[in-house]
Amino acid sequence: MPVEVIMPKVDMDMTSGTIAVWHVAEGAEVQSGEPLFDIETDKAAMEVESPASGRLHHVLAEAGSEVAIGKAIAWIYAPGEEVGAPPEGSAQGPAPETPGKAAAGETTAPRPITPAPPAVPDHPAKPRATPAARHLARENALDLAAIAGSGPAGRIARGDVERALRESGEQLPSAASGWQPEGGPLVVHRAGGSTGAPLVMIHGFAADSAGWQKLEACLPTERPVVKIDLPGHGRSPRRPVDSFRSLARMVVEAFDAEGLDGAHLVGHSLGAALALALADVRPRRVASLTMLAPAGLGPEMNGALLSGLARAGRKESLAPWLKQLTAEPQIVTESFVMAAMQARKDPALRAYQQDLAETLFPDSVQSFDLTPALDRLAIPAQVVWGRKDRVFPWKQALQAPGRVALHLLHDTGHMPHLEAPEEVAAVIASRLQAAAGQPVVTPAG
Amino acid sequence: MSISSETERCGAQAPAPGRKGSGGSARPASRRAGKTSAGNEPFAVRHYSPEVLREALRKMLLIRRFEEGAEDSYMRGLIHGTMHLSIGQEASAVGACLELTDQDKITSTHRGHGHCIAKGADVGRMFAEFFGKESGYCRGRGGSMHIADVDKGNLGANGIVGGGIPIAVGAALSAKRLKTGTVVTSFFGDGAVNEGSFHESLNMAAIWKLPVIFICENNHYGMSTSVERSTAVRQVSDRAAAYSMPGVTVDGNDLSAVAEACHGAIERARAGEGPSLIESVTYRWRGHSKSDRNRYRSKDEIDAWIARDPIRRFAGLLSEHGILSEEGFARMETEVAEQIAAAIAFAKESPDPDTAALTRDVYTTQTESVG
Amino acid sequence: MTAPAAVLDSPLRELSYAEAIRDALAIALAEDERVVLMGEDIGVYGGAFQVSGDLVHRFGEERVIDTPISELGGAGMAVGAALTGLRPIYEFQFSDFATLAMEQIVNQAAKLRFMLGGAVSVPLVMRFPAGSGTGAAAQHSQSLEAWFGHVPGLKVVQAATPYDAKGLLLAALDDPDPVMLFEHKLLYKTKGPVPEGRYTVPIGKAEVCRTGSNVTIVATAIMVHRALEAAEVLAQEGIDAEVIDLRTVRPMDRETVVASVAKTSRLVVAYEGVRTLGIGAEVSASIVESEAFDYLDAPIVRLGGAEAPIPYNPELEKAAVPQVADILSAVRGVVRGTR
Repeated sequence: MPVEVIMPKVDMDMTSGTIAVWHVAEGAEVQSGEPLFDIETDKAAMEVESPASGRLHHVLAEAGSEVAIGKAIAWIYAPGEEVGAPPEGSAQGPAPETPGKAAAGETTAPRPITPAPPAVPDHPAKPRATPAARHLARENALDLAAIAGSGPAGRIARGDVERALRESGEQLPSAASGWQPEGGPLVVHRAGGSTGAPLVMIHGFAADSAGWQKLEACLPTERPVVKIDLPGHGRSPRRPVDSFRSLARMVVEAFDAEGLDGAHLVGHSLGAALALALADVRPRRVASLTMLAPAGLGPEMNGALLSGLARAGRKESLAPWLKQLTAEPQIVTESFVMAAMQARKDPALRAYQQDLAETLFPDSVQSFDLTPALDRLAIPAQVVWGRKDRVFPWKQALQAPGRVALHLLHDTGHMPHLEAPEEVAAVIASRLQAAAGQPVVTPAG
Repeated sequence: MSISSETERCGAQAPAPGRKGSGGSARPASRRAGKTSAGNEPFAVRHYSPEVLREALRKMLLIRRFEEGAEDSYMRGLIHGTMHLSIGQEASAVGACLELTDQDKITSTHRGHGHCIAKGADVGRMFAEFFGKESGYCRGRGGSMHIADVDKGNLGANGIVGGGIPIAVGAALSAKRLKTGTVVTSFFGDGAVNEGSFHESLNMAAIWKLPVIFICENNHYGMSTSVERSTAVRQVSDRAAAYSMPGVTVDGNDLSAVAEACHGAIERARAGEGPSLIESVTYRWRGHSKSDRNRYRSKDEIDAWIARDPIRRFAGLLSEHGILSEEGFARMETEVAEQIAAAIAFAKESPDPDTAALTRDVYTTQTESVG
Repeated sequence: MTAPAAVLDSPLRELSYAEAIRDALAIALAEDERVVLMGEDIGVYGGAFQVSGDLVHRFGEERVIDTPISELGGAGMAVGAALTGLRPIYEFQFSDFATLAMEQIVNQAAKLRFMLGGAVSVPLVMRFPAGSGTGAAAQHSQSLEAWFGHVPGLKVVQAATPYDAKGLLLAALDDPDPVMLFEHKLLYKTKGPVPEGRYTVPIGKAEVCRTGSNVTIVATAIMVHRALEAAEVLAQEGIDAEVIDLRTVRPMDRETVVASVAKTSRLVVAYEGVRTLGIGAEVSASIVESEAFDYLDAPIVRLGGAEAPIPYNPELEKAAVPQVADILSAVRGVVRGTR
């Protein structure tokens, strides 16, 4: 069934809208969430996003025509879907959960739970803005009247003020000169149960601890899980880093603060290199090491991908890079991109990560070499790598000495914990079981 | 003299003009309270020591002068709000509390000054409460309508008609479960007997045989509405039958009659035999509250009841039996007057509450001032 | 004792919400002679929702007291008993029947301590099966907690989980003042971990049941479960919702709510009582009166019960109170800026 595009009600007392311009030509492809057309009401102009991905067909209302709210004006066909005669308009009973239709759905069938709030007359001298937007504008001596609001009836939200600040060359208070150095310990997330030796997880560059979710779901739940957010990632402070060594020191510091013993380390990419560095300096408190697509085993890398990821400030610019991380691009769904962008919405975080990339991977080269550490390693260790990794070539795994187990996964890219969580979990679990047979030193208290 | 009231109230004394059907003495007396008095001596004289009887009279007098003093203070603008005076009902309050200990509980009504004094309260702290002072029984939070003295067993007057009756039943449940051997006397007016709480409470007290004495002080009017116009039964004590408990009607202006009925009911309660209902027929000389214009009753009716002043009657009885001399009564009058004057002076001099402590006693452990 | 075998002696045992309450009642009866249960049909019948269950056989009719159908008198009796040394726990058969006992709850239990200048306390626990969803229609399905939240002197509690139901009941029993526990009827059969023995959950403290960064959903009772379900769906869409279980309506834990909204900038309040002049208004007011106001980046949405009595027809009944879909749509609206 093609997805219906309707004239949405975007203003309180709006009964019809005029199509100002279509952003997508009939027959052309459009992604869900991309601008589809602009409407004009007697108060405001609004951009309307596409409710679905596919090709636009049966455009019933040309630019300049006025259409009653809730009326169908076009349909979007999924790839491969046969395009026949225009379906009957069904604006009377739209599916309530379809984005873009919610507004019309609520007005055609008023919900008893949330009746429309009372209308507020417009005061041209007093722009509509949220308290947060007003607060930010006030702090930056910005005139709200000069800012275009993206919300209903032109309401200005915090994001609009931030955009205006960026455009006017002003610095955001939180991102003066890109980012402000911060202090304090790295943020550590604790999860899982309380039985057995802990799992310590260290994420990779431009990721955060939330990225372990899929893998965690496949792991036994009774063990404590400790996830470290790297500086300037997730919720950790933006501590200045001048070398891989200083970054590793912060991770060791966070590990020490947890007072763990007999820990099983799991790291991904940069996090795997850090886990190895940690095992190197704390051999007696680490029971095993699992490295997923580790950095630090050779100079070659995909520098464009890394800096592209660090730079991307919109989901449109982020998505193409994310799709290169995995062997199958469809693993990177729209909602995955949205979630990733949500975690990266802070410009200061992005600025910090760009600087970090430049420090660790200058001129697209891995500046640190951990093969000596790998050679020194006396604890059980294993490397998991996808054969379709486009960030680090998997053949770097062959640097490992013979006692390090090697697991090469088919049809897997740089994200084994996302692409093949069950296999990765099985590899980790086998190490946990092996360790369970050995005496593990646990804290006395 | 019969304690069972009918002949006393309707025959020997002047009938209340406003009360239809109460002129004759043909109606049989209802159930009798406890033992019937034998001989000609009134129960009180036979049963209590002269000291107890003189103290009973002194308390009646104290109630009278307290309320007159309160009324005077009200008119001088020293008392905020309103108050409900029980002048004329003193025998009922004192007679009912005569055998109660400080461990026995009472629940009272909006017309509760008499009950409070009868149960042993200090009139200085009562005046202080009326004046809204921190030294008052309720630290200025309750006023006349919530006057209480928990240490003496008075769980409080109540602004809600019938509000105290189920609370008395709960207190009696505590007494029974905790085996304290105490009893609870619940005072309420004739208006309360048409509240659901009266019926629910009497029923529960009866099914669990709880040690409660229900005392209906029938002063003939619930505000302006007479008992005849509001209540289907001919006398309130008839309602005891519905809850399978003894019910009697007594002359509430005769301290001896009230005390005798209560004596039987208290003994029954302490013995674990359950509750009783006593209707104490009396009359308030003043209006319902300070805003009453007395449009619903005649001057003749009020005068007829004033002629049956319970204090004069009881003082006469003590004099008749050589328990109290003229001089003794005069001395008592002087002492009470001095006590009242000192109490008012104490109240006037007491500090006002601190407005910053407004929410202090909303919760026992104060966590925050707002919800 | 006839507890199911599975719940015996296991520290990680699961109990239903009703069993958790019974567990708390049994602990209270066993450890304090002053505790008595009162209510309609709580004896051999086991209570209308089988909460008291077999307690009458374990503790006797003297302590598990079947009252007549006399809500006003019964509540008043509980007040009097609490005033004079007992620790009564009074079960109303349905929270709707509180209307019959308003006088004793509102005028006496709530005010006695204050009116008497602190001379007494009323340590009374009242339990109220509440809420809709059982097809019991307008007089047996109400959510009246906000009414009582308006009365200084009362504490009003709504547990969402078996764990909290037990812990809050025992906390209520330790409390020297009257505490009203509103128990959503649809929760009675829900299960969850309940430790053995005595523990308490503090009255007046909300719980952050799920942390998130984009929007705060403040919910009570069954709405907590609906909010958590919605939050999982929203996570798939990249919306990270924080869910707060208010747990106590009065005294309200404003601090937790304010701190959360200062972080997320958006607030949706989900509760079953009638939307207008209710919990949502109070929570919203806490935000706009606080420092969180300056962080607010979208209008606040109150999702409450319809402006109508609870209807009988099952579809109408569902439409009368917020469902998961309503929470989803409200959150999407405030996060995406379409509201």
